[in-house]
Amino acid sequence: MRLPPTTPTISISRITAEHGQGANARATLAPTSLDIHRGESVAVVGRSGAGKSTLADIVLGLRPPAGGRVSVCGEGWCTPAERPPRRSRHLVQGVPQDPTTAFVPRWTLRQSIERAVRALTGDRDVEPRVRDAAALAQLDPELLDRRPSEVSGGQAQRAAIARALAAGPAVLVADEPTSALDADTALAVSSALLTIARETEIALLLVTHDPELAERCTRTVTLTAPSV
Amino acid sequence: MRHSSALGIASRLLSGVALLLVAGALPWLSQRDPAASVLRARYAELDPTPEALASIRTELGLDGGPVVTSLRWWSGVLGGDLGTSWVSGGQIGPGVWDALAVSATLTSLAIVVALVIAAALVTPAALRVLRDRPQRGSGPVGVALTALPEFLLASAFLVVVAVQLRWLPPYGWGGLDTAILPSLALGIPAGGLLGRLLADAVSGVAEERWVNVWRLAGAPRAVILAGTLRRAAAAVVDQLGLVVIGVLGGAVAVEQVFAIPGIGRYLLGAANAQDLPALQAGVLLMALAAGLVGVVTGLARRTLRGGPLPPGALPPPPEPRSDGRAARWTAGAALGLLLLIFAFGLPRDPLALDHPRLAPPSLELPFGADASGRDLLARVAHGTIGTLLPSLGIVLLAIVVGLLLAVLGELSRGPAEIANGTPPILAGVIVAALLGPSVGGAAMAVLWVTWPPLTAHAAALIDEASAAPHVRWLPLSGVSRVEIWGRHVLPATIPALLRHGMLRLPGVALALAALGFLGLGAQPPRPEWGLLLSEGIDYVERAPWTTLAPALALILTSVLAVALAGIRRTRRNHRAEDPLAADRLDAVAPRR
Repeated sequence: MRLPPTTPTISISRITAEHGQGANARATLAPTSLDIHRGESVAVVGRSGAGKSTLADIVLGLRPPAGGRVSVCGEGWCTPAERPPRRSRHLVQGVPQDPTTAFVPRWTLRQSIERAVRALTGDRDVEPRVRDAAALAQLDPELLDRRPSEVSGGQAQRAAIARALAAGPAVLVADEPTSALDADTALAVSSALLTIARETEIALLLVTHDPELAERCTRTVTLTAPSV
Repeated sequence: MRHSSALGIASRLLSGVALLLVAGALPWLSQRDPAASVLRARYAELDPTPEALASIRTELGLDGGPVVTSLRWWSGVLGGDLGTSWVSGGQIGPGVWDALAVSATLTSLAIVVALVIAAALVTPAALRVLRDRPQRGSGPVGVALTALPEFLLASAFLVVVAVQLRWLPPYGWGGLDTAILPSLALGIPAGGLLGRLLADAVSGVAEERWVNVWRLAGAPRAVILAGTLRRAAAAVVDQLGLVVIGVLGGAVAVEQVFAIPGIGRYLLGAANAQDLPALQAGVLLMALAAGLVGVVTGLARRTLRGGPLPPGALPPPPEPRSDGRAARWTAGAALGLLLLIFAFGLPRDPLALDHPRLAPPSLELPFGADASGRDLLARVAHGTIGTLLPSLGIVLLAIVVGLLLAVLGELSRGPAEIANGTPPILAGVIVAALLGPSVGGAAMAVLWVTWPPLTAHAAALIDEASAAPHVRWLPLSGVSRVEIWGRHVLPATIPALLRHGMLRLPGVALALAALGFLGLGAQPPRPEWGLLLSEGIDYVERAPWTTLAPALALILTSVLAVALAGIRRTRRNHRAEDPLAADRLDAVAPRR
C-alpha cells in the first residue's frame, strides 16, 4: 500500500484503557498518542503495569479502547464503539508473546497460516503467499506440516511471523516476541523482525523489556502507569 | 467484580417481578380448564354447558386474563385474604395457617436433629485441630447418613420402627411420639450433609497459614479452635441456607409418608384436587419461608464475615480430599448390582398379572409379586428405564440450557437464584397442579433445579476456553466471532460438561423417583421406582417385600450418587474441570 510519505501508516491518538465497568472501573493505560511511518520500528518500554500489553491488544483490535482512536493507512481502525473493519483486518497483524500457545493445537502450522490468508485476503490460491512468507521469516518449509507442539519455541515464533506476514500487513505488533525464547534464538528472531520491518516497509510496534533491543529500533516510547 | 453487576441486579428484579406475576396468575395458567374441574367438584349435577362454564369463570375471577387475575390475587393477599378454595368453596386462610404451624414445628425439630448430628460429626475434626493433628476428609459416617433421601428414609422408618417393631405410631400428628420418626427422617440427611461440609471445612481451615502463625505466637488452643470454627462456619454458611431449603422440600415427602397435616401435605392435596387458590397460598407460604431462610443466612454471613467483602477477598472454601479409590469401588459395586437386576429382570413382563397376589420371594420370583400379582423383579428392572431414561434426557437438556444461559451471563442470575431456592418437590407440585401429574411434568420440575450448577460450570469453562491464547488470537486470522464460538469455544466445553452431567445423573433419578413416589410423576401401571415404592407401602404389613425391591434399587442409586460425588471431589487437576468449583458458584450464580 503506497501512501504519501507524510501520512503515518498507523496513528494512535489519545488512547486510554480501563479495567472493569461502572464504579469499579480502573484506568490501565494513560492517554497515549503515537504515529509510526512505514519502515519505522518503535519500541514501547515501561514498567510492569504501565499498559504495554494493553496498548498492543488495542492496536491489534483484540480489545476496544476506553477512549481515543486509532487509524491505519489513513482510515479509521478502532474507537471505543467501532471494531476494526473486516475488509481491512489484514492490515494489522501480530506476533505473540508465547508462540506455541497462539496456534490452534489441532491444526498444522500450514493449516493455521493458510486459513488466515484465505479468510483475510479472499485469495483461493494461497500457496505462493505462504511460501514467500515462510522464506521471509526464515522458516524451514518442511516444518509447516507439523503441529505447534512439535516444533521448538524459536521455530514456532518464526511460524507466527510467517502467519502475520502472509496476510500482507501494513502494521506489525509484536508483544514481547522474544520473552519465551533463549538468548541466541531471541537475538536471531528480533533481528529478523527488525530487518523485515525495514525491508518490506512495514510499521513495527515492538513491546519489549529488553533495553538493547529497544535501542536497535528507530525510536523508543516510554509508557508510565496511569495515576490512580 | 469483573462483569457488570447492574445487569445482575436488573435480572434479579425482573425475575422477581415475573415470579410474583406468575404466582398470582397460576389459576389462569392451568392447562386443564379450571372451570370444568370446579364445576365437577361443586355442582356434580350440572351439565358443563358453555354458559355454566362461563359463569364459573367469572365467579373465579378468571375472565380478565393473566395480569388481571394476578393483580386481583395479590391485592387480596395484601389485604389478608388468601382467597376461596375451588373445591370446598370455603376460606383458605385458617386451614393453611394451621398446616403451616404443624410444618414449622416439624421443620424446627428436624433442624435440631440436623444440628445435633452435625455437631457430632464435626467433633472429631475439631478434636484433631486441638491436638494439632488435622486430617482431611469427613469419614464414612457422614457419607452413610447422607446416602438416603428423605422419602426413602421415612419409608424405611415407617416399615421397620413403626410397623415391624411397633415402637412408635406409624402416622398422625399428636404428641411427641408422633414427631420423632418424621423429624429423624428429615433431620438425618440434612445433618449428615451439614456435618460433612463443616468437618471438611474445619480440617481445611486448620491447614491455613494463619493457624500456624497463631500457634507460633503462643495462642491458647481454645482460641485457635474458636478461630477455626468461626472461619469454617463462614465458609459453609451459604450452604447452610441451601440445606434448610432442602429440608423444606423434603418435608413434603415426609409429611405424606407419615400422614402429617402440614403444609407439604396440604400442597399435595391441592395439586391433586386442582385446587389452585389453595396451592397458591401454600406456595406463597413456602416461598416466604425460603425467603426468611435467605435473610437469616445473609445476616449470619454478615456477622461471620464482618460485612460484605469484595470478591476474591476470602480464600475459596477448602476442598475436601476424600479417598478416591474407596469411592470408585463403591460406585462400581452399586452400578454392578443395578446392572445385574436390570439384566435379569428385563426379559420378564412387568405388566402381566399371572402370579398369585403378594406372592413372597422364591426362586421363580426372586423379588416376589405385588398386590396385582405382577413380577416385582421385572417391574424394578423396567423401572430402570422408566427412571433413568427421563433422567438422562433431563441431564442432556440441562447441559444445553446451561450453555445457552452461560452465554447470556449476568442476565441469567435472577432465574438461577430462584431455581436454587426452589426445592425440586415444590417445583414438581406446581407443575403437576398446572399440567396434571405426568413423567414430562416431573421431568420439567427436576430440570428446573438441575440447570443452575451446569450453567455456573459452563460459564467457568467458557471463560477459560475464551482466555486460551490461540482463541484470543483467532480474530487476527480473520475468524468471525460466530465461528470462534461455534468451532473453538463451545466444543472445548462439551466434554467436561458431559462428564459433570453424568455424575449428576443418579441424583436427578432420585429427585424424579421422589416425585413419582408422591404421585406427581409417572402414573400407574408404569413401572417407575418411586411409584413402585408408594404402591408397596400400602401392603407393607402383609408383604414387606413389595417395598424392599424398589427400595433396594433406590438405595443402590443413592450409594452410586454419593460415591460419584466423592469421585467428583477428588478430580481436581483442573480448576474449571472441577464441578465442585462450579457447585460453589451455585450460590453465587453464574458469572460471565
